[in-house]
Amino acid sequence: MADQASILIIDENHARAAIIQDGLREAGHLNVRWLNETSNLLRHIADIDPDVIIIDLESPNRDVLEQMFQVSRLVKRPVAMFVDQSDSIAMQDAMVAGVSAYVVDGLRKDRIKHILDMCILRFNVFSRLQDELHEAKTALADRKVIDRAKGILMAAKSLSEQEAYVLMRKTAMDQKRRLVEIAHAIVTAEGMLK
Amino acid sequence: MKSLRIGFIPLIDAAIPIAAVECGFAEREGLEIALIREASWANIRDKLVHGLFDASHMLAPLAVATSLGIGNAGVALAVPFGLNANGNCITLASRLYRSLEEVLGHPPQGPRQAAQALKRVIDRRKASGEPPISFGVVFPFSVHAIIVRHWLRLGGIDPYNDVQFQVVPPPFMVANLSEGVIEGCCVGEPWNSRAVESGVGSIVVFGAEISRAAPDKVLALRDETVSQDMDAIHRLLRTYRLAAHWCQDPGNHANLAHMLAQPQYLNVAPKTVMNALSGTLAISRTQTRTVTDFLSFEGDDINRPDPRKARWLYAEIATGLRSPLAEIQARAAAAVFRPDIFDAATGNNAVPEAADPIGLKFGPAFDSTDLQAYVDALTLEPNGRAGFGDR
Repeated sequence: MADQASILIIDENHARAAIIQDGLREAGHLNVRWLNETSNLLRHIADIDPDVIIIDLESPNRDVLEQMFQVSRLVKRPVAMFVDQSDSIAMQDAMVAGVSAYVVDGLRKDRIKHILDMCILRFNVFSRLQDELHEAKTALADRKVIDRAKGILMAAKSLSEQEAYVLMRKTAMDQKRRLVEIAHAIVTAEGMLK
Repeated sequence: MKSLRIGFIPLIDAAIPIAAVECGFAEREGLEIALIREASWANIRDKLVHGLFDASHMLAPLAVATSLGIGNAGVALAVPFGLNANGNCITLASRLYRSLEEVLGHPPQGPRQAAQALKRVIDRRKASGEPPISFGVVFPFSVHAIIVRHWLRLGGIDPYNDVQFQVVPPPFMVANLSEGVIEGCCVGEPWNSRAVESGVGSIVVFGAEISRAAPDKVLALRDETVSQDMDAIHRLLRTYRLAAHWCQDPGNHANLAHMLAQPQYLNVAPKTVMNALSGTLAISRTQTRTVTDFLSFEGDDINRPDPRKARWLYAEIATGLRSPLAEIQARAAAAVFRPDIFDAATGNNAVPEAADPIGLKFGPAFDSTDLQAYVDALTLEPNGRAGFGDR
């Protein structure tokens, strides 16, 4: 069933905001908007007038939202942070995932819980994707260094590719270091000896 | 080894928590401390309240507001250590600063002259139907918001009707000044210096010119932690006392500046940190000023939490929200500041207390036993008054 609660996502990370937006839409929350504009934040929020605000914890702008707890001429309806005292674990999950939620008065707790759970899920998906991307990038960079080091050894000691690789691996094992560290050492040394 | 997770915001006044780790004081007390950098005070509060931190660097008024349930669901916190006094400045956008110079015929000298000149500029703008001046402060509950209001009153400016306030995170302060979203701000270093260097603003007042010992940042814990792990807290406080002494010593400032400047902490140039530590700041493109007590880390007046200061913070928070005072709330606020824990940890006994715990440099006398009288004296005078008398 479609939920017409108006949800505003404040996140400067485009990719993550898109992932969250998709997740919420799939779960039937169709009225979702995204704000990456950080100046005049309260004015934008007042114009959009959302029921729920989802904000990432990396942004210093969370402190700007805190202003809405006080009587403010800028915001039409009272807003509070979603704190379910009976469920501190849910709050911890949200913070570990890197997200926080603010809701206007009167929205039912189970509805906001559903929205927040979806956001936590999607924040975690995004973190995992980012970790995987980081790992893939690192693996690629390692591979490049190892290939260069292999080439240096092959030229310097007239070794075959296989022999150069075995020599590096043996050195790494003997010194209890990672293969890529040995490769870096060779590349650095070559640069200095040039 | 006892492990503790401690949150901090990358500011110069996080010096004691950082130095306690970097100088090895914590390790010698058998503490293994993980320092966790955060982007907002709201994160700091929530992570402390929900147990993701064991302790944290925190705005003193936020510790009181959180305990009283003002602005959020109330969770009792304990403050066993004060981390600093002062270190903030009030900076005005260049255009507004020039208006003050025009009114005076020279650059403003001292807080009173600056506030009185601002009053004349505000009156003039009001008469010509221009929008009110907006001031950026770092958080709704901050000593920054409190001292700006205090300074405005010195010039006879009504902080609630003559100007507006808005929260601006420190990293965005210079951009907001430059774009005219705000025309003044109260913030710690290096943000004032950044505004001066980039020609966006000029510093008109140092926090140390407004009060001697208003509590700025404190160490805060959940109240329940106090009963659960008193031994670890005692060790932490002994560590912080050593770190406070080390940070205060001018001989260590060059080292401290390099320590804080590192990427995992403030991630700025060491020179930028050094300005605030030495108290020598360029206040405009042509003037430099030195104030020796610009930022203080050590002293019984600063480190030992005085419940009278918590009562002052409560009075100022309530006034800022334009709420009536309640003695029961004032008592709850006082109970947040815990000199008993400080004394037990450090072996202190009978510290001579300053007659005036805040040391406001102007305005009504603060008597912690009569908050109503203090608040009345702040607010009773009608609009257009001459402002505070000298202390």
